This record gives sequence, structure tokens and C-alpha cells, in this order.
Amino acid sequence: MPAEPMLRVSHVVKRFGGLTVADDVSFDVPRGAKMALIGPNGAGKTTMFNLISGVYPIDGGEISLDGQVIDALPARKRIGVGLSRSFQNIRLMPHLTVIENVMLGQHVQATSLASLLAPVGWQRGGRWRRMAEERLRQAGIDVDPDSAVSGLPYGVRKKIEVVRALMSGPRLLMLDEPAAGLNPRETAELSAFLKGIAEDGLTLLVVEHDMSFVHDLCEQTVVLNFGRLIYDGPTKGVQDDEAVREAYLGTRRVATAEGAGRAA
Amino acid sequence: MSGYMAGIVAILCINLIFAYAIFVTAAAGQLNLGGAGFQAIGAYAAAYASSVLMQPVWITIPAAMAITALVGFLISFPVLRTRGVYMVLATFAFAEVVAGFLLRSTTFGGAIGMVVPDHVGVPVLIACAVGVTLLVFYLMATRVGLAMRAIHDDEPVSTIMGVNVRAVQVATFTLAGALAGLSGALYAHHFSFVEAQYFNALLSIYVLLFVLIGGTQTAWGPLVGSLFFTLIPELLRVGGSWRYVVFGVAIVLMMAIRPEGIVTRQLVARLSPRNWLTRRKTVLGERHAG
Amino acid sequence: MSGTAATLKKPQAALSRPVLIGAAIVAALAVAVAIGGKVIAQQIVSGLMLGAIYMTVAMAFTLTIGVLNFLNFTIPTLFMLTGMVAWGLVHRGFLSFAGGWAWLLALVIGVAVTVVASLIVERFTFRYLKTKHGDATEHAIPLVSSLGFLLIFEHLVLIAMGSEAQRFQIPFKADIHFFGLVLGGAQLLSLALAVAIVAVLTYVLKHTRMGRALRTIAESPDTASLLGVDVTRIVPVVFVLTGLLAGVAGALFTINYGDVSPFMGDHVGTKAIAAMVLGGLGSIWGAIAGGLLVGLTETLSIHYFGGDSVQMVVWGLLLAVIILRPQGLFGTASIGKGKM
Repeated sequence: MPAEPMLRVSHVVKRFGGLTVADDVSFDVPRGAKMALIGPNGAGKTTMFNLISGVYPIDGGEISLDGQVIDALPARKRIGVGLSRSFQNIRLMPHLTVIENVMLGQHVQATSLASLLAPVGWQRGGRWRRMAEERLRQAGIDVDPDSAVSGLPYGVRKKIEVVRALMSGPRLLMLDEPAAGLNPRETAELSAFLKGIAEDGLTLLVVEHDMSFVHDLCEQTVVLNFGRLIYDGPTKGVQDDEAVREAYLGTRRVATAEGAGRAA
Repeated sequence: MSGYMAGIVAILCINLIFAYAIFVTAAAGQLNLGGAGFQAIGAYAAAYASSVLMQPVWITIPAAMAITALVGFLISFPVLRTRGVYMVLATFAFAEVVAGFLLRSTTFGGAIGMVVPDHVGVPVLIACAVGVTLLVFYLMATRVGLAMRAIHDDEPVSTIMGVNVRAVQVATFTLAGALAGLSGALYAHHFSFVEAQYFNALLSIYVLLFVLIGGTQTAWGPLVGSLFFTLIPELLRVGGSWRYVVFGVAIVLMMAIRPEGIVTRQLVARLSPRNWLTRRKTVLGERHAG
Repeated sequence: MSGTAATLKKPQAALSRPVLIGAAIVAALAVAVAIGGKVIAQQIVSGLMLGAIYMTVAMAFTLTIGVLNFLNFTIPTLFMLTGMVAWGLVHRGFLSFAGGWAWLLALVIGVAVTVVASLIVERFTFRYLKTKHGDATEHAIPLVSSLGFLLIFEHLVLIAMGSEAQRFQIPFKADIHFFGLVLGGAQLLSLALAVAIVAVLTYVLKHTRMGRALRTIAESPDTASLLGVDVTRIVPVVFVLTGLLAGVAGALFTINYGDVSPFMGDHVGTKAIAAMVLGGLGSIWGAIAGGLLVGLTETLSIHYFGGDSVQMVVWGLLLAVIILRPQGLFGTASIGKGKM
């Protein structure tokens, strides 16, 4: 019997009114894989993340994490079974400091009443805070942990969100455009950092537009277009795939024609 | 302490406890414009237990708190179904129903009010206010406090982070009920008299203003807000209606200049001596590294 | 935010509503008169008169909530301002040159002052405010500022004119007898004014450029700015309309009851909020129906159960409506549900 994949999305359907945003989508993310989820704008990538993380209920199909069916679990319980995510637009808590945002990521691990009622905000050298600071350091975030997040540069906030998502000790980490808005140096650092944590056994599912980042990080890729899965295979083969070329090139051809028209 | 000072300190203590009641829900993102309703229930429960049931203070006050906590717990379920403007209106309506009931009820003296036999002095009020302040400071330093602030900032993301948003909100409403009940019971026992007219819409408005002007991000907010509102008019020594005009102007200016309240999380971080030292180090470190 | 828009967008639905409300009132009147005779009919007439005032104030509330998602607590004091300014002008003899028409001139100036006051509120609640984080309490900032203005206006009036209730005389003595019912001339005038302002407002919202812009903002502020609607220029318009509605309601109240006091807005304001919730937030026709309903309920419950019960009955009903049917009679569930 083959090993269960870390994430199995099986015949998932989602409709908003008359619009089908996920149309019988099935794919597996194998244990320990680094997989990319790509597609043109409006393909339903973020929607797929929202379905997996429970923001919206699915209308059909099944989602399972490591063999456990999770699509009936409420959103807040999915992080507890090992599923953690970041957001396309940074969703850090604006009035929490850097360390507080990161420590919020530990929330599911504080299961006992004692750990919920321990004054973590006062324990400078406490276990929780040390863990959070350690992760910040590993990710190469060199800012005052007690500073406000709202004043920090975009790239730093983006990385803090990844660190926050990591704090729950997930088995599957889903990142929604982690490299967007980062400069090339930051992108390379992020890629190295993610490779490092993947070596510890973490499974990664990444929505990303930056194809060089995808090629660098992810060995496997699934492609969505208009809510349908059009490709599922190695990242190397994605650019040679007929359906993918059509989905992307269709728009590119229009862009080229426009460019030519303007030039003429 | 002069009688005048004692009077100010007494009302400051009661207002502070009341403000913390409203703060705990506001810190978790829920605006309660019906504070007077909870306080009235606490005051009348204590008054009834004291004057009719002849119970001593150490029973009347905890009993009042238990009743208002239960009311807060029960009312949280319908109220938490509402959002935004609706929640403000629902809590406001709740307070009006309570005031209307108390005004009509012959059991609770109707418009005449009730005399409360046992007196509680200023030292007890101060002790309670200090206790509640420390309790809320402690709460805000815990993971529950962190979760409350997270819910205030972004409810959907808090859910994704595994926070049981509903449980936290119900808990804050229950705690708010208990604290408002305590402030009401202390009011009844200190002033030895309760009347429904005191617990009016304006009181609910004032206490919410204490909290929002003080700031909802840290436990310092209600403390600063209550002090500001209780002491500024005394210090300015303006009489009668001018006092309220000054109030109003202060509120409007405050919202224009410091819309997040007087005390923000950032301000606390900046003023903390320990953080100030570490920040110096970090800045220096960065400069050397750069 | 689609409440106002949804209500106003469909002309056929909007047209059927006045007919519906009118028919309901006539039916209720007929039933009540058949059962209770003239005494009840007289109560219903007074209830509708009171309801006309609630309805006008409720429209001011519902407009600011529908377009700006803002519960404007200055509206009760704006209402009071018109009456008190008018009384002050007449009482101090500033308008003696106008002779027998001094009362009317005073009320017009009163409304004008109210509109200006409303624009001052706009300055400090909206113009200087930029939401930064979109968190839960940030959206309460205009509400808090409006509470500040409530204190300022009420107490400035107290300082200038004292706390006593005052008589405001108007020269309408003639009562009209209509099928055995007694209708005061002042009451008829105020009812006519209320109907006129409702008609004008609905026309403006439906048929003018400004009205269309207001409806677009109510539907979606982002789309509105994309479509080239200048939101910052529309906001003062909302406040002018708010001041106008509250001021006219204050004038109606003054004409109708002949009494003014610095606290006259408190009672009317809370009843108008109740009316708005009953009708559904952001819905103009909801405010109209809700206002009339609350007016009727109030006079009838005073008649049957005495005055003490009104507060509990009205607010208990309101609490039930908010929790069980937050969209009220005519509103849509989405409005006001988001962060404030």
C-alpha cells in the first residue's frame, strides 16, 4: 500500500452563486514535498487555499490531511491537525508587536489552561518567547522583537508572517505568494530558509507568480485555470505542457499584440 | 482625606472598575453601549440582598457579581449574533430594557429607588479598584489577552490561527458582567442608595468614552481614560455646563489627534525602560553591522 | 452596504411600499375605529403625528448609516438645536420686525443653524479621519466624536438658554373637525411638511445626479470612487441632509407641541433609533414605516397601559428585532453588519 500523501484534494467543487471557482479539482501533495500551485490571475489559487484552510466550506469532494478527512473540521481546528498558512495580502495584527504576532502562531500549542493563563507577555526569558525569538533569528529577521509591525518594511513583514505560520508546528505549510514584493536578495534568502525547514520534514504548498522562485524551490507543480486543474507534475515540465502554454500564452499573445500595436 | 477628596476617589474607583468591564469586551473588538444595564443589575442585586434579604456585604457583593456574570454570559449569545452598529444598538437596547424594568418594578422600589443599609468605605473601594486593575493587567499579559487583541485586530485570521473566537468573546462578556456587577454593588453600598434614573444611557455612553479615549490596546487605557475624565474637570475647576463643553471638545480633539486612544501599545513599548534599553542596543548593533 | 441602494434601486418595489404602508395605516385605522370608536381614532391621529416626527429623525439616522455606516449621535441635539435657537430668537426679540411671521422666520433660521452645526460635525468626524488598520474599534471613531458633539451642543444650549422647558407660541388656533375627529392646524401643517420632505428626499435620491452618487456610495464605497464619484465631496452632502432632516423634525415638533427644551431631542432621538432599527438600517421606507409604527405604538400603549411601560415595550421589541431579524422590515441583512 503506498504511503498516504500529506494533503489529498479529491474532486473538490466550490461555487459562488453561479460561478464555479473550483471545478472537480484533485491533486495530492506527497509527504515532504515542496509543491507549487500556480495559474493565471483569477484561476482560483487563493480560493483553493481558503477551501483547504476552511475559510469557506466546500460544495463537493473531500480534503484530507495525512489520511484524516478535514473538510468538515471548522477553520480554527485545522491548524491543530497540522495545517498552517500565510495570506496573500499581509494579515499581521497591526496592534501587536513583532514577537506578539509570532507568539500568536503558538496559540494551538498552548492547550492546557495553565499555559493559556500564564503571563507570557511578562516572561521575557520564558520558553514561549525564546522559541519565538529563535525562529525569528533562523528566518534572518533582525528587528527589535518588541517593535510595532506596522512600521516595518514590506519584505520583513512578509517574512514575519511566514514565521508566524511556522510557530504552530505544522505538517503542511501553505504560503500564499510569499515572494511577492520581495527584492531578489530577500527572495533568495526566503528560498534558502524554506528549503531548510523542508529538510526537517515539513511539506510545503506554495502559491507563487515568481517562476524563478518556483523553479528554485519546488520540484512539483500543479496548475489551475478557471477553477480547473490543468497540470500536475514536475516543475521542469510545466513550461512545455500544451494546456499550460495555452492558459498562459493566450494572455501573453494578447499582450504581445497590444505591445506591437502600440509600437506600430 | 477630606470629604471632597474622598468623594472623588470613591467615584473614580467605581468608574475604573466599570471601565475595565467595558474594556475587556472592547479589547476583544466588541463595543458594549449598554454598560449601565449591567451595572444597574449589580447595584440592585446588592441592594435587594442587603435591604430585603438582610445579607452581609461579603455575601451581597459576590452574589451581585455572580448574577451579572450570568447575565453577561446569557446575553452574550444573542448579542454575539450581531455585529458592528447592530451590536452597539443591541447592547444599548438591553440597558434601556433593564432601566425600564427597574423603573416599573415595585419589588425594586420603582422610581423611588432603594436604600442600602450596609456601608462600604473608600478603603474597600480602593482595594477593589487596585485588585481589578491588576487582574486585567494580568489577563492582558496571558495568551487569552493576546487572543483578545488578535480578535480585535482581525477576527478571520485569529480563527485560522486556532483561536476559539466565540469562546473568548463569551468569556469576555461574562467577565465584563462580573466587573460591571462589582462596580454596581460597590456603588450601592458606598452611596447607600440606588435609583434607576442614575443608570441611564448617558452613563453607558460615558463609560464607553472612558475606554475608547483611554485606548483599547492595553490595560493602561481605562486607567488613563478614567483618570482623565474624572480629574480633568476637577483640575479645570470649571463649573456646571462648561465642564461638559470642555469634555466634549476634549473628546472631539482627542479623536482627531489620537484616534486610537491616549495609550497605544506602541506608546507603552516606547515608555517601558527595559524596552528602551534593548532598542538602544539593537539600533547600535544594526549601525555596527551596517 | 446595499440596503439603501437595494431599496431605492428598484422603482417598482419603492413605489409599492408607500402604497403598502398607506393601505396598512388605513386598514389599521378602520379596524381600530370600528372597535374603539372615536377615542381610538383620535389616538391614532396623534400617534401618526408623533410618528411623522420620529420618521423624519429616523430618516436622518438611516441616511448616515446607509451611506457612511455611521451611527450619528448628534442627531438628537441637532433636532433640539432648531427648536431652542428658534425660541431664543423670538424670546430675545431679535425678530420683532417680522411681526406675525417671526415664528416662521425663527424656525427657518433654526434649521439653517442646525445645518451649519451638522457641517461642523462633518469636519471633525469625517474630514480629518483616515482609517488605518480597519480593526474593530477604529470604526467607532466617528461615533465617539459625535458623542463629544452631543455634549458640546447640549451644554452650550443649556448655558445660553437655561434648562427650563419653554413655550413656543404659533398663531394657529383653528382646529379642523373632520368626521368628528379634531385636528389641530399646527398638526396638519407639520404633517404636510413631513410628507413634503419625505417626497423631496425620495425624489432627490432617485432622480438627481447627487442621489445616484449617494446610492453608489451606499452600495460600495470602493466602486463609487472607481466610477469617479468624489466620496469626499459627497460626505458633506450627507451631513447637510442630516441637518436638514433633523432640523425640520425639530421645527415640526416645535410647531406641533409648542414646547421646547434642551432635552427635547433625547426622547425623540431614542425613539427614532428604534424606528430605524424596526424598519431596517439604511432603508428610507423602513424609517418611514418604523417611525409611524413607533408613534402609533407609543400613543396606544400609553392609552392602554400607561406611560411607564413604553420604554420597556419599545426597547424590548427592538432588542428582539435586532437579534431575530436584524434587517428589520425593509432593510437587507448585509447593512451595518461589517465592522463599524
